[in-house]
Amino acid sequence: MTEQTIYVVDDDEAMRDSMTWLLEGEGYRVACFASADAFLGARHEAMNGCLVLDVRMPEMSGLELQEKLDTLGSRLPIIFVTGHGDVPMAVAALQRGACDFIEKPFRNADLLSRIEQALQLGSELAARHRRDSAIAQRIDHLTQREREVMELVVAGKLNKQIADQLDISMKTVEAHRARVMEKMGVRTLAELVRAVMTVS
Amino acid sequence: MARAAGSAKNRPMFVRTPPRQPQQTLLWLAPYVAIGIFALAMLVVTALLQWREQDTALSALEGDMHWAERTIEARLHAHQDFLSELTREQEFRQLTYESFQVRAARYVRDNPEITAIVWVGTDGKVEWVSPHEATAVFVGEQLTGVRLAALEEALRIRRPSFSPDYGDASLRRANDLIYPVQRGSSDIGAFSAMMSLEALLRVTLPATFTARYSLTVVDADNREVLSNSSISPTDRKISGTISLDLPNNRLGLDIVAYRGGGIWAPFVPAALILVLTLIATTTLIQLRRHARRRAETEEQLRAAYAFRLAMSQSLITGLRAIDLEGRITFVNDAFCRMTGFSESELVGVKPPYPYWPPEEFAQLQINIDTALAGQAPASGFEMRIMRKNGERFDVRLYFSPLIATDGKQIGWMASMNDITEPKRARVELERAHERFVTVIDGLDSAVHVADAGSREILFANRAFQSVFGFDAIGRDSAIVTAACRPPPEALVLDPAGLSPDDLPCELFDGEIQHLMSGHWYHVHERAIRWVDGRTVRVQIAADITDRKHIDEVNLQQQKRLEQTSRLITMGEMASSLAHELNQPLSAIANYCAGCVKRMHSGNYQLDDLLAAMQKAGEQAERAGKIIRRMRDMVKKSDPNRQPVHLAQLIDEARAFADIEAQRSSTQLLIDIPENLPRIVVDRIMIEQVLLNLIKNGIEAMHDTPVEHRRLSIRARHLDQRQVEVTVADRGHGMAEADVEKIFTPFYTTKEEGMGIGLAICRSIIEFHQGRLWVEPRRDGGTVFRFTVPIEEEDD
Repeated sequence: MTEQTIYVVDDDEAMRDSMTWLLEGEGYRVACFASADAFLGARHEAMNGCLVLDVRMPEMSGLELQEKLDTLGSRLPIIFVTGHGDVPMAVAALQRGACDFIEKPFRNADLLSRIEQALQLGSELAARHRRDSAIAQRIDHLTQREREVMELVVAGKLNKQIADQLDISMKTVEAHRARVMEKMGVRTLAELVRAVMTVS
Repeated sequence: MARAAGSAKNRPMFVRTPPRQPQQTLLWLAPYVAIGIFALAMLVVTALLQWREQDTALSALEGDMHWAERTIEARLHAHQDFLSELTREQEFRQLTYESFQVRAARYVRDNPEITAIVWVGTDGKVEWVSPHEATAVFVGEQLTGVRLAALEEALRIRRPSFSPDYGDASLRRANDLIYPVQRGSSDIGAFSAMMSLEALLRVTLPATFTARYSLTVVDADNREVLSNSSISPTDRKISGTISLDLPNNRLGLDIVAYRGGGIWAPFVPAALILVLTLIATTTLIQLRRHARRRAETEEQLRAAYAFRLAMSQSLITGLRAIDLEGRITFVNDAFCRMTGFSESELVGVKPPYPYWPPEEFAQLQINIDTALAGQAPASGFEMRIMRKNGERFDVRLYFSPLIATDGKQIGWMASMNDITEPKRARVELERAHERFVTVIDGLDSAVHVADAGSREILFANRAFQSVFGFDAIGRDSAIVTAACRPPPEALVLDPAGLSPDDLPCELFDGEIQHLMSGHWYHVHERAIRWVDGRTVRVQIAADITDRKHIDEVNLQQQKRLEQTSRLITMGEMASSLAHELNQPLSAIANYCAGCVKRMHSGNYQLDDLLAAMQKAGEQAERAGKIIRRMRDMVKKSDPNRQPVHLAQLIDEARAFADIEAQRSSTQLLIDIPENLPRIVVDRIMIEQVLLNLIKNGIEAMHDTPVEHRRLSIRARHLDQRQVEVTVADRGHGMAEADVEKIFTPFYTTKEEGMGIGLAICRSIIEFHQGRLWVEPRRDGGTVFRFTVPIEEEDD
């Protein structure tokens, strides 16, 4: 598992610098961006951690960036930092699926605890994503016949029924089934069912 | 006219077309040719007659000539015979002097042409003369000259000879007839008869002969020797020559007939014929010319006639001729068309005419009587007549006397115009003009038109006249409008120097104050072409005094609003500064927290901490700057407190609010006690508060029925230090929950409001150590109350 990073996007230089100081003091890895565009330019799939986003920014606002990231399929949790009177905006952001928001001026403890939660969420999301993609990869390795057999097995069919349906011998069904269990890295039927359910 | 009136079929004199002349041909040449042929024939006949006459004369001449020749010849022969007898006798010595004398004298006496007969010797000496009384010659005379030459010639040739003529002693022409005498072979002398040829001709030829002919004796060389011709002209065509048979001298006699009737006689007939021909031709040409002129005149007459006919028929003006008694003698097509009656129905009719409507009889009879009396007005009669189908229409009838070619009046010609349409148009025009005048007079603006050059006022509407005087028209506009006139140098162009091509053009557009009344006018002046073509100045002056007043009030309000807007901005700024302050404060907190964390954990670099602390300090400075900016702004709008009468403040605030109040038909009720002490306030700020409350109240009564829209402003002396002012509306009132919130910045119940008006009002009042609060009105609506300090009395 790679180390998590806190991505800070704020147009105010002092804010960026002081956040870096604070968060690095807490032992986090921090990356700062002066604008939404700068962040979008540096963004990649493997980014892991959370995003601390100022709502009010010239050019692209925090909300707009959130929308953009949504369409790009980003899984980074977002903590919005708002100023006075931006409360309705923050509510809108939360409704759109932001992780959290914090109002300036904030207490450091609040910020840190929210960051911790966000990172937790982030790592969970990342782990789930990794697992899902592994299972998907394994399914990809199955042959056409094995996949058909697996789908029927998961659907709760008996070997006999499978053999009849696919018009193959019982022995062949058993062989395919053994291969499926092996390739999917599961030992019991229950495990197989769970793995397949996760990805579908 | 009477003839025309007799028969309707028979067109009157206007309309009868003269017959057309037959086509001209070469026929006109015939008389000339005839005259020519006649003249030629006459000339030929005359010539033939002449020729025959000449022929006759010629044959007569020949007869006479022969007779004369014979007669003369016989005489001469007689002379020669006599001389030759003497010669023979002398030759033979048979002649004595005495016998010579006797015989010769007798002979001479019988023949007057012979002057004398002489005997000359061979030497030319006269020896005998007979008759001895003869004077032309004498005995012993020596012959000389031609006579001697002739003698010698005769002696030489020994033959008789006739001498050339010579002048004798009496200077008459004479010739010698010489007969030489020889005896044996010797010459002894000669007999010579002195003879006058003229006498010979006179004696031999009768007077009638000499009267008819001119006689000329010519010698062999055709030289004229003798002539008896008179001055009478001769006709050489009728002539002949006879020779005088004389020895040794060839003389001839030319006989030329005298011309009968003078030299011109033969030409007279021809000349007469020519003259007559000439006269005939000239007359013919004159006649022809005359005929042509006549034809031309006729043609012109016909064209003029056709033109008049076409004119009379194509006219849209109806023409009607009446005789002196009023009987219709002629109507043209237009007249028939207009009335609907045919010509046959009208011609010959006496008044009342069929197209007279019964109800107009009396008036029309008067008209026709007037016209027949020759007293028709020059402008004609305007009358209403009737078509055949009974339809009435208006016409104008003009009368003029109808004069015949002999200068006598034979009737009256009337032209009739249908004026129904023009009359309608005129009425329309009059109405249009009326409307125009009504509109122009109804204008508030003073409008007048003045000549650009003479400045005479040509038109002025009522508004103009009520401002500048009701006798303005016709007067000099410069004098009339002197109190309110654009100065000449303010005009765009000099109106006097305008050419028609420049029109229309702007001259002036601006505001001028009337010097007497003090009213302000917006004066717009243009130069245009007037209806009669001259250049005029049109000036429209609109009284803008009220508008100007409102503008001024608005301007003042604007100024005050600008002053107070700073206060509003301050509120806005406060809010935005608060936002700004968040940044440095958050940053400071971050830096500090970071430092604390590091120091706790003991895991730090001193330099890092120092840098962070430094940055925190910088952020603190940034926050300080923001605070300073805010303070600077507040300082700028430092209020200026002065003692002032509340009533005055309310009046001023009300001046602004009045516009709004009038627009929404809200009544402003003001109740200020007269003995209210002066308050000590910044007047602009308190005015702003009042205005704000008044406007709020007016807006709150937006849904209140118009008759209840009343806003009352009251003031009362609360205690020794302050005055309470109340602004009460009868609007929708206020929810209990809103009562305190309305003073919070950015809180608003209005869609367009910023939500800081009341907040600022409260700030202002609190700044004056007063209070601003709100409470519901008992009968609905809201009451705003505030207190302001009063002037502290010295005692």
